[in-house]
Amino acid sequence: MTFEASVRTEHGGTAPKTADRTFWGRLANWAPYRVLAGLATASPRRQFVILAALPLVWVLTQHLGPMLQMLRVSLTDAYPVAPNVQQSFTFEHYMKFFQDSLFWMPFFRTLTFAGVFTFCTLILTYPVAYFLARHVSQKNRMLMLLMLLIPFWVGEIVRTYAIMILLGNTGAVNLLLKWLGFIDRPIPFMYTSFSMGVGIVYLTALYMMLPLYSALEKLPKSFNEAAADLGAGAWTRFRRVTLPLTIEGIASGCTLVFLISTGFYATPVLLGGPSTTVFAETIAGFFHVAGDQWPTGAAFATIMFLGALLITVTFQKIMNSLRKGDVR
Amino acid sequence: MSKLTLNRRRFLGTAAAGTAMLASPAYLRKAYAQGGEVNIWTYNDFVPAAFKEQFEAETGIKINVRLVDDQGKQFNLLAAEAPNPTVDIMTVAGHRFLQFIESDLLAPLDTDRLSNWGNINPTFSESDWATIKGSKWGAPILSGMEVLAYNTDYVTAEEAETWDTLFSEKYKGQTAYVIQDMMSIVMLMMGYDGNMVAYMDDPEKAAAIVEEAKNFLIEKKPLVRKYYDGGAEVQQMFVNQDIVLGHSWNGPAAALINDGLPIAMSIPKEGSYGFVYTFNIANNCPNPDNAYTFLNAILGSPEIGAAMTKASGFISTYKGASEFLTDAEKKATSFPEEQLANLQFFRAEANEMKYGLVDPAVEAIKAA
Amino acid sequence: MTRGNRILLSCIYWAFVLYVFVPLILMVTMGFKDSKFIGFPIKSWTLDWYSGVFANAEVLSAFTYSLVIAVLSTLISVIVGTWIAVLLEGRKFWGRALIFGITVLPALVPGIISAIAFRIYARYLGIEPGMGAIIWSHAVHNVPFVVLVLMARLSTLPKSQTEAARDLGADPIIAFLRITLPYLAPAIMGASIFCLLLSFDDFVRSFFLGGYEPTLPVLIFAKLKSGMSPEINAIATVALVITAVLGIWAERFTRRLNKENG
Repeated sequence: MTFEASVRTEHGGTAPKTADRTFWGRLANWAPYRVLAGLATASPRRQFVILAALPLVWVLTQHLGPMLQMLRVSLTDAYPVAPNVQQSFTFEHYMKFFQDSLFWMPFFRTLTFAGVFTFCTLILTYPVAYFLARHVSQKNRMLMLLMLLIPFWVGEIVRTYAIMILLGNTGAVNLLLKWLGFIDRPIPFMYTSFSMGVGIVYLTALYMMLPLYSALEKLPKSFNEAAADLGAGAWTRFRRVTLPLTIEGIASGCTLVFLISTGFYATPVLLGGPSTTVFAETIAGFFHVAGDQWPTGAAFATIMFLGALLITVTFQKIMNSLRKGDVR
Repeated sequence: MSKLTLNRRRFLGTAAAGTAMLASPAYLRKAYAQGGEVNIWTYNDFVPAAFKEQFEAETGIKINVRLVDDQGKQFNLLAAEAPNPTVDIMTVAGHRFLQFIESDLLAPLDTDRLSNWGNINPTFSESDWATIKGSKWGAPILSGMEVLAYNTDYVTAEEAETWDTLFSEKYKGQTAYVIQDMMSIVMLMMGYDGNMVAYMDDPEKAAAIVEEAKNFLIEKKPLVRKYYDGGAEVQQMFVNQDIVLGHSWNGPAAALINDGLPIAMSIPKEGSYGFVYTFNIANNCPNPDNAYTFLNAILGSPEIGAAMTKASGFISTYKGASEFLTDAEKKATSFPEEQLANLQFFRAEANEMKYGLVDPAVEAIKAA
Repeated sequence: MTRGNRILLSCIYWAFVLYVFVPLILMVTMGFKDSKFIGFPIKSWTLDWYSGVFANAEVLSAFTYSLVIAVLSTLISVIVGTWIAVLLEGRKFWGRALIFGITVLPALVPGIISAIAFRIYARYLGIEPGMGAIIWSHAVHNVPFVVLVLMARLSTLPKSQTEAARDLGADPIIAFLRITLPYLAPAIMGASIFCLLLSFDDFVRSFFLGGYEPTLPVLIFAKLKSGMSPEINAIATVALVITAVLGIWAERFTRRLNKENG
């Protein structure tokens, strides 16, 4: 839609140099602008420097800065520093993780959960994104997509409590099943990995949906038609044409969802059970419960982050080789 | 919430008396003259709206309330702001004092500057936990305790007389507790000092006790439905009937009772722990004089204490506050004498050793 | 495509809609419950919670505060994010991958860690807690999402278009403003909605970097301390309706503007 729009502007308006009366023409001929633009675009090198300056300064100071501070805290022996105490650097907080097998369980559990939930989100949202991108008319598409986005506007906590009254022993689902006569005693859905999954997929669906949708939308219809002409069945077409061509969308959606779901805190804590403790809870414990263990919390957060990053990079590598293999 | 009717004349009277009584009431004069503001970190409804309005009108001091929802966050926030905090008054639980004090975050309280200090029930203001390093660190406002809350449709009062019921096969999958708090109670159940003050000189014994309590909770893990953290969670579990009994603080349980749900609570015979919310002055706070003016005013009348109780479900530390409660409210915030006799307060002296042992144990229980 | 497939897919879509909406419907319904706690059974109903929202100055000011923060932080995120996306997409230079990595970093750090990191860093920079600090942290946190969305869109921009403009004598700045920016417009719109949503919903960063005025999520969290009351459901519902209406209005408005300009 916008592609057409921008083409239209291109042809409708007149070329900048000749059209002195349009806004752009006047701007282009306005002396101060010309001096500035001339200075800024004098050489490709200068152009690049000016283009790169703000992003560089921003990401280095704003994105990296806080994390470096965090890293620094994770290497100090105590934080916040009591007055008149010399701060010293140490690796002991990192060692704590590797020395005590206690922390490994929640760590690996988190990675496993994140993997499983990412997969569930993918399975659930792929058909939905597919339906939206391929079977819904242009006109309704935006509306139907927006409809799915509305619930995400409600805060995480309120939504999580809504899931509690959906799945609780006297929750909506149990009441319905009882009324239909399927059950006599309520099914304990809550505080299991099931209820946790219901809550987490709710949070991650959006992050998966958008990349999938844009990948599927880009896919030309003609590809499928050509395959159909060659006599390929629906499943074969999907497996041989659609899936390989959307693998980039799948990869970026999964990466995003995986990394984000390793960091979830409130939802797993509220919806999970006694045996679903995640690492974020362990980390938060160092900040909340035992207040003065910031360095340990920071060190553990770094470990979590690096672990998740390692898995994501491996995953990306696999997806890359998969893509190459399929194209061949 | 019924409207708070603070006796205006009495309020003024106390303030005047305070002025007359103190040899150097400079802080009061300054407050009246300058107005200014006082910054408070506290829980929702801990500063009654009617009181706030009246205080601002009479002293010209503006009250800025920042709502917090947990002790740890207050600590993190203050630690991040120190040594130049933006806050004057915080709301710390008595047994968490030490952590704040050792990080130099609290200022000792000069009770001579509070003419209304005597309005607090001495059970709270003069209790063993209240004095640390020879100073008072906070003005007690509300008191809470660890109780056994239960759904009266399913659990009998006799069953609720002992913590053992919480770990019985009969209620498998229908119980919940806060592990951290439960550790102290389990130690008490086993006949040990859950505050660990008795073992300060014997770290090996302390470690063995924590180990025993930890193993007990791991053994009972298959029976529990949920390890929870916040009052709202346990309330929702009772409403949804996901649990029929559980460890709770009295405040959240009282709110359920007041709402007409079939919930009751008890202090089991093995005993339990109580804690006190206090208002504290931050070290190097920006408006210390206004902070004292505020503290003295909020301690001014039992009606203010009653208003806090109505809103939070916790028990007021003010003398005579219960006179201003309805019968239902009184019922939800009081216990039989024989149960109260089982109660003792959390103490902070051994906290460093205790939580050094308990925190890893909690992690181990969760990971098991 | 076979008919059966299409029906199956549309069933899945509507099942998903149901999954997404049922908790929402429960939330709206519970706002009418005459009790201090949400949950079944509902014995009596009341309008008090909803009418109370409009009478509650605290809630209204928190709502406006959150909205202002969301809009301002989104503005910053979108400007910076677009700039970074233009730099990174389709250009090869030394350290590009590294810069891309640092760019997406804030999106990948767990919430509590990022909040505390921001708090420490704010202190290091001398930024006072309050509205400015919240806007700053939200803006930084949301930049990666803008960059990711815009880079995806930019990668589909036909090079021939900008080149054509350059051939006609437009300098790079004008070429960017006239060709690239309009092409990016829908993606910018999408990214803005995303940022607004993230900012409006954020609790941890707002809590750690905020001053004495609470944002809506911070206020809700504090209220939760005394129980999940229908009041909170009513507040969330009203906030949802207002933001949805504002969002739809903004979408219509920009669409009309685009039409007029086109």
